[in-house]
Amino acid sequence: MGIMGTKAVSMSDITKIYTSNGLRANDDVCFDAEIGEIVCLAGENGAGKTTLMKILYGLEAATSGSIHIFGNKTSISSPLDANRLGIGMVHQHFMLIPEYTVAQNVVMGIEPTSWGFIYCEKEANEKVNEVITRHNFSISAEQKVSSLTVGQMQQVEIVKMLYRSVDILILDEPTAVLTEKETAALFSTLENLAAHGKTLILITHKLNEIKQISNRVAIMRKGKLVDICTTAEVTEHDLSRMMVGKPIDLQISKKETTSASEDTIISFSNVTVEKRGQERPLLNKISFSAKSGEILGFAGVGGNGLGILEAVMSGFLPVTRGTIYHKNKDISNCNTRELRKDGLAYVPADRLTIGSALSATVEENIIVSSRRSFIRRGLIDQERVEAYAGELISRYDVRAKPQMPVGTLSGGNIQKLILGREIDQFRDYIVFSEPTWGLDIASSQFVYKKMEELRDSGAAVLLISSNLDEILTVADRILVFYRGEIVAALCCSESETVSKERIGDYMLGLVRQDHDRLTARL
Amino acid sequence: MSNMATTIDTDKSRRKTVLMSSALGYVVIIGISLATIVILSLLLSETPGKTLHYFFLGSFQNLYYFGNMLNSAIPLMFGGLGIVIAMRSNNLNLGGEGQIYLGAFVTTITALALAPLHIIGLIVALVLGATCSGAVSALSGVLKYKWDTSELISSFLLSNALVLIVNYFVTGPFMDPNTNLLATRKVPEVFRLHKILPPSNLSSALFFAIIAVVVVYIYLFKSKGGYELRMFGINPKFALYGGIHKAKNIVLPMFLSGALYGIGGGIAIIGTYYACVKEFSAGMGWNGLAVALIAKNRPFAVIPAAIFFAYIESGAKNAMLHSDVTAELAMIVQAVVFLLVTSEVLYTLYTNKKGKLS
Repeated sequence: MGIMGTKAVSMSDITKIYTSNGLRANDDVCFDAEIGEIVCLAGENGAGKTTLMKILYGLEAATSGSIHIFGNKTSISSPLDANRLGIGMVHQHFMLIPEYTVAQNVVMGIEPTSWGFIYCEKEANEKVNEVITRHNFSISAEQKVSSLTVGQMQQVEIVKMLYRSVDILILDEPTAVLTEKETAALFSTLENLAAHGKTLILITHKLNEIKQISNRVAIMRKGKLVDICTTAEVTEHDLSRMMVGKPIDLQISKKETTSASEDTIISFSNVTVEKRGQERPLLNKISFSAKSGEILGFAGVGGNGLGILEAVMSGFLPVTRGTIYHKNKDISNCNTRELRKDGLAYVPADRLTIGSALSATVEENIIVSSRRSFIRRGLIDQERVEAYAGELISRYDVRAKPQMPVGTLSGGNIQKLILGREIDQFRDYIVFSEPTWGLDIASSQFVYKKMEELRDSGAAVLLISSNLDEILTVADRILVFYRGEIVAALCCSESETVSKERIGDYMLGLVRQDHDRLTARL
Repeated sequence: MSNMATTIDTDKSRRKTVLMSSALGYVVIIGISLATIVILSLLLSETPGKTLHYFFLGSFQNLYYFGNMLNSAIPLMFGGLGIVIAMRSNNLNLGGEGQIYLGAFVTTITALALAPLHIIGLIVALVLGATCSGAVSALSGVLKYKWDTSELISSFLLSNALVLIVNYFVTGPFMDPNTNLLATRKVPEVFRLHKILPPSNLSSALFFAIIAVVVVYIYLFKSKGGYELRMFGINPKFALYGGIHKAKNIVLPMFLSGALYGIGGGIAIIGTYYACVKEFSAGMGWNGLAVALIAKNRPFAVIPAAIFFAYIESGAKNAMLHSDVTAELAMIVQAVVFLLVTSEVLYTLYTNKKGKLS
């Protein structure tokens, strides 16, 4: 066996070329992981991390290269093969049936049976509970998945893999959907698993998490492996430099906004949204105003009204009661079309189904809301569209050509395209929802810089985001949502009061700002 | 998500690959359909050599057959265009049968009433025929917009009723008492289109069909209305997000779709039939749908697709006249084409061969 014997995973000279578009997603990558080790696989969007792991898990076939698992040369052509070899993967999006119990979800496909065909509920529960207690998870086999939190659902996914007795576990951006506390819990679970001799590979691009959890970190850039190094020996700054290829600066200036001094652009007055058959309103008497020249951040955990707020602002959802003003104009019951005419610029959270038409070309996507301005003699002036699209994509560094279908672009490029389109035509306010979700550091930076520019040019920037770091980095004022209500309003200039933990407490409903303090800042 | 963007292959070679695979797909489809004809002839015919000769070459044997073949492609082009417009907006109009018949009937009776007006009468007749068919089709669009009724079902049911209603008028109040045919009176000579390939029935209607193709192409791909329609068809949520009108892009495409069928019917009257014969258009609506599917919703591809469809039909007709097979042969072949075309698999044969697509 030689040297190979000590490695859990050893991938050598992996190259993956997509025949559909000729992309070289992995270029001669060598990657390895020792037994009982936590390795982070870091890199920007499109660096090839997920592709590499999909190859290891049998979801993609490598164009060339070889894989050794515990020293044996193997070929993995499906996730079933991978499971047999002891490799498991937890995807970013969970694959669970909410109506089933934890145990039923875990054993699915390999159910314990009596007489060969009758599902044995008791045995399943026992076996699953045994796995759960061995690794100190906070769930129990009898619980229904629909009653679990997101963090617990992730635990179910991990248990599912452990139940199949995997020794190598791949986690794709495991903390993307978790709160601070859940992340901490996940990390202690992972450390526990590593102590039991499991090998863990985490795909991530969050620097602080890499530092916190991993033994070693592998950095990829543009399909190539830049380096694998011992985490303790590198700083966050080193990591980010390796990931983006140049040092980055995470500073965004803050601007102090006082309620009276600036012009109000958008204001909500007691806006309530109710859903038939649901007792608690989705939004409950929301009042605030967004001023010219500020970035107003909306923070909250998923399901607490941020999504509803986005739908209301973009005209997709009518308000039940209350009024929304754009300057002095009542826009409460305008649909998206009317809002667009009124000057709405909006970067939606759902960039693939709302923000773009994937099978339409880049230029067709670019002109969607400015289409009227390209008409010449009754027809669309193709030359001008092409020139405008070409100019926009080069200005926003979208790696695409005007005639390409948007569906062939990477997520980050699609987002830049949407940003470019919306920023380029905004008038006095712009709504961003989760603008950097899934973007790498450099692209996120770019988005933040743009927001800052917009603010400095006098726009009201409304930023809806569940990413606390992001809100803290860019917002001048933060409104925290909990159960459809605003529970706290924070001005970022008073830096001592705005800590991540404090906002986290508001977001999770642990504390609530007192009424007078809150209303004074809305 | 993160498996993209390292080196981007040139756009051109990618397009070339797509184009080649689609061309290859068509070659396979045509090959299999023609093979079906050969096999069926060998099985069903006592004189397979003769059958095949007339099937494949009959249409080119003389100007009469050739012209008639092209002539029967004309209503298919209009129908195909109607479906292209509907499908591009993600609506489906299954009412072609009724709409083509209604358009033909309205055009006929208007032309009869407006005989003294000459060319103006003709234009009014065609426009009125198109408007009536369009309105019926638009009704399905309105129902879809208002109550989310499936336009597929409503257009189909409305069309079935229409056929019966028009039948009543053609064989009742408007029947020509001077002939034994179940038909209206013939439109006056001044309204009839010129024959361009005598002795065949082919008339200048062919030019109208080609103009319609060009107009539909320009509308869909060069105008703002067509852009909105296509975006709505690709992703309605995205269209709404961009401020595109929802009602307009459900009702208008349905109207245009019906109107194209209506014009197709009207032109068939003034170009070929002159009188609205009872159920003369049976099958044309469905074949229009097939043509649009073969053309993959591309306006210009409607022309060869309609001619291919008409070729198979007239080939079977010739074989039937000169040999011993029945008209069902054409139906079977058309069904095979239909099946092959709608199965997308063949188009991706070439691209898939070289490994898994993501």
